[in-house]
Amino acid sequence: MGLMDKDAFLLLKNFFPNIQLSEEEEERFKSLWSIKTFKQYDLITEAGSIERNFYIVLSGVQAIYILNEKGEKVVLGFSYTGSPSGVFDSFVRGEPSKIFLEALKPSKLLAISKRDYLVLFQNHPSFYEWGHHFFQEVLFGRLSREVELLTLTAEQRYLSFMQRCPDELKVIPQKYLASYLNMKPETFSRLRASQVY
Amino acid sequence: MAKLILTPENQIQRLNAIFNTVENLKGLPLAKLTQRVNPKTWSILEVVLHLNIAYGHYHKKFNEILPNLPSIEDEQTKFKCRAWQKFVIEGQRPKNNIRKWKMKTLKRFEPIIDMEKLNDKGAEEVFDTFFELYGHLKKSILTSRGKDVKKVKFASAIGPMVSFYLPESFEFLLCHLERHMVQISEILDELEK
Repeated sequence: MGLMDKDAFLLLKNFFPNIQLSEEEEERFKSLWSIKTFKQYDLITEAGSIERNFYIVLSGVQAIYILNEKGEKVVLGFSYTGSPSGVFDSFVRGEPSKIFLEALKPSKLLAISKRDYLVLFQNHPSFYEWGHHFFQEVLFGRLSREVELLTLTAEQRYLSFMQRCPDELKVIPQKYLASYLNMKPETFSRLRASQVY
Repeated sequence: MAKLILTPENQIQRLNAIFNTVENLKGLPLAKLTQRVNPKTWSILEVVLHLNIAYGHYHKKFNEILPNLPSIEDEQTKFKCRAWQKFVIEGQRPKNNIRKWKMKTLKRFEPIIDMEKLNDKGAEEVFDTFFELYGHLKKSILTSRGKDVKKVKFASAIGPMVSFYLPESFEFLLCHLERHMVQISEILDELEK
């Protein structure tokens, strides 16, 4: 666990743009977060265990995935620098996760425990507004992905994803990107070779 | 015969599910934990104690083998279980929550509890040991993700007629655990009647 430097705190503050805190409150807010470091391929959250933290990514790329009946990883999403991370349903419900969260690159995450996360809401009602917008965005993101998966061709899915995804995501092992886009690694590889992206 | 592909993630997920089940058993009263459905069968606590005894051989082996295995840079590829080992493993694995056949336990794996002296603390110790030992199994599976597991095989607790690579031994232990979780569920059902 590391100490939070200026840049990390700035990233944290930017994550909650409309929250106004006094200097004293800001110090207290800062003290609720810790930095967790993970090596490449470390399991941050295991299926079958309860997600204890809400994360904000300082660096690295992580994947959330579920195992299918053959034991293969089916990638549901990624998190990367500046984005939230964690297994939200397990975190909110306090029930064992069905999903793994794995570091695909060495990762540094800002973490807040469930207890401290709830303290934020209790002490500062403005976090409810943040929560409303946050989970609204999560829902819209998932809906948009569902539409893409159900309506676009493999090539269209590839292009749409490559246009919007950050560069750091483009260098993770191809099989994770292929799984996320619901295509075989060979198809992904062929599309990559034939496209600009 | 269909291939049996082993992955550490699948094994960790199943082991965590077993931990959740055993965690719930911890809260049961001593009378329930030690009650036998009939004199010839084990109580819940005896099953857990048997699981603790069964891990002994592997605890030692994993400590010997894992530190000496070469590390791998990339992700561990899927491990294909060998045919004879698959047969042995499948013998343990319950199907649809049913134990296919009952097995005679070797004398050295039989749990012996002195019921005269057993109290809540004694039962708690059995559970604590379970979590310690199988926590070691989980740690071993996690460590194996960064190791070349195809380098070393070793004799199972049954003897040299069954040798295991690490992923095969993890799977055997998991199926053995799952088999006994079914047994515990059967005991609980009987006790409820």
